[in-house]
Amino acid sequence: MKQDYIKFPLHLIFHPIEAFWDLKSDQRGRLTVAFGALTLTIIMMILQKQYAGFLVNYIDPRTINSIGEIATVAVPFFLWCIANWAVTTLMEGEGKFREIFLATGYSLIPIILIYVPMIIISRFMVQEETAFYYLFNSIAFFWFMLLLFIGTMTVHQYTVIKTILTMLLTVIVMGIIVFLGALVFSMLQQLYEFGYNIYRELIFRT
Amino acid sequence: MARTVKRWLVLLTTVSLLLVNAVPAAASPAPYESYNYNYWKEAVPSPDAYLPKQTISGNDLGIGEFKDPGDVNVSPSGQIYILDSGNSRIVVLDADYKLLRVIEGFMMDGSKESFNTPGGLFVDEEDRVYIADTGNSRVVVLDEEGQLVHTITKPESDILATNFQFQPLKLTVDRVGRVYVVAQGVYEGIMQFDEHGQFIGYVGTNKVERDYGEYIWRMLSTKAQRAQMVLFVPTEFSNVDIDSKGFVYATNIDPGSSEPIKRLNPSGEDVLKRFGYFEVKGDIRFRNNPGPSKLIDVKVLGNGMYSVLDATQNRVFTYDDEGHLLYVYGGKGNQVGTLKTPVAIEQSGDHQLVLDRGKSTLVIYEPTRFGASVNEAVALHYQGEDTEAVHIWKEVLKLNANYDIAYIGIGKSLLMEKKNEEALGYFELGMDRKSYSVAFKRYRREMMKEHFGTFLTLAIALIFIMILVRVAVKWRRRRQIDREAGLH
Repeated sequence: MKQDYIKFPLHLIFHPIEAFWDLKSDQRGRLTVAFGALTLTIIMMILQKQYAGFLVNYIDPRTINSIGEIATVAVPFFLWCIANWAVTTLMEGEGKFREIFLATGYSLIPIILIYVPMIIISRFMVQEETAFYYLFNSIAFFWFMLLLFIGTMTVHQYTVIKTILTMLLTVIVMGIIVFLGALVFSMLQQLYEFGYNIYRELIFRT
Repeated sequence: MARTVKRWLVLLTTVSLLLVNAVPAAASPAPYESYNYNYWKEAVPSPDAYLPKQTISGNDLGIGEFKDPGDVNVSPSGQIYILDSGNSRIVVLDADYKLLRVIEGFMMDGSKESFNTPGGLFVDEEDRVYIADTGNSRVVVLDEEGQLVHTITKPESDILATNFQFQPLKLTVDRVGRVYVVAQGVYEGIMQFDEHGQFIGYVGTNKVERDYGEYIWRMLSTKAQRAQMVLFVPTEFSNVDIDSKGFVYATNIDPGSSEPIKRLNPSGEDVLKRFGYFEVKGDIRFRNNPGPSKLIDVKVLGNGMYSVLDATQNRVFTYDDEGHLLYVYGGKGNQVGTLKTPVAIEQSGDHQLVLDRGKSTLVIYEPTRFGASVNEAVALHYQGEDTEAVHIWKEVLKLNANYDIAYIGIGKSLLMEKKNEEALGYFELGMDRKSYSVAFKRYRREMMKEHFGTFLTLAIALIFIMILVRVAVKWRRRRQIDREAGLH
């Protein structure tokens, strides 16, 4: 229990290359952990907006919206997984959707681990020290990117160049999915309007 | 009996219905909306700082209507000089807005001279009147009796083009008699003349804002195309004023500029403080109006404050010396207090005067309790009397609880008194992160000093407990191993 849910994720973020391989080949990854990491990341984002110290918190309190926060983290997350799966299926990637999801979820762990202390410490910082806050937030982000990169590389058994290419393609595909989604939504809306107008014509003409 | 009751009831109802609207909703006496910008750059309603008191036209003074009046200036002794450009005369009023005299012209070399569409005037400490006589290409200096002192004509200088036309528009004069002239078509800066009318040089230049897209376009164009393009020249200054320390305040009407107000030091550098949340440029957000403020006049009010006149929305913006927007008043319209084509702003005592060319009147504004309190508190703060400013700031907050500058003012005073913790709250309300950081640093040090002993005791105790626990665990484990080995 402790081995799979706490020790392995912590081991993974420090030794990503071998741990991602274990995650894939030995079935060490747990969906609960990936979902938990996503949930905790969303919570961290919300907590940071609400509770980060005054000196680093430039958020207008009237604009804080937890549902929006959930959407801005969860939607790109799932979009990434789907787009990555779509791209790698065509590009001879060896990863299954479950593995992509696990790798992406496990990559979020550094963000959680760094945000918690930074939110607390930022409340005791003065202006000169806020540089550290921004530094550690950047470290969290780059660590996440690094893990995502290594995760993608290991899960699909790609070379470095191919991984970078795949990741760029994934971002493009994410855009395409959003575009298609918007298109379908707008078409459906027009279809509905059309049907509704015909209905109105009919009932008013009689 | 029942009938009487009924009748009374009906009467009561009627009366109560009538009285519903008897007390009007608290109506603002001002014909314009006053507002201020908050930290998030939103215009939020604010109490009126100035209210229109009266307007003065030429007919009110009994000298015939003003025609295209161009400038107004108040002498240090309190006399109000109105430049009635269209009628080529200067109307002088006393501090109570009563007519003193009218200057129609002056004697020069034994003949009578008059003005030709003069654009601006300035009265110095010795009551000498400087008139930018635009149509006659000269600056006329008259003494207090209206006798000619000298004129400044087209300067002879190597740095001027041969076909240069000297058309002075606005001017100001410093304490030693140097004249700063804004002239038409001069992009190099403000022309500076010495007390004898000799041209010294230019001060302060508006920088050209570079548009890189346009730059690339220009590189791709042919010579013939380039010749047809608009030239990128710096914008001209629109007006000047001078403060008691000899710094020249100048405005320009460049719509793209984020620094339309400049405070020039003697070597011509811009030293205006811009410590506010947003740029010192009038309106920063345009609700349904045509773009940025066009600042056409500036008036130094003393104690570091200055007012600028915006010709886009016909409003007056007043700033303190650190660049915080204090209040906004005025607006477009035809009522008393709103303006049609404002051209100049002045201060007479605690009144502010705005000259409206469109209506040919001088509008007099009187400070409200709010405006007067703000002015007083800013002055006290400027003079370093922060402690005395506090109770006035509190008064201001009663009138406008959204007034950030008041919170910052109180916070700064508390900081002086070393009440760091209280100051924190005020700085947070005023969204002043810089001062908050200073207060927090002191507060944190204070706390550390006070609780260092406790902290250390706790830390040592914690380390001790951890060692104990570890020893206990080890001991227990060994016992277990021993027991399993059957040693007990």
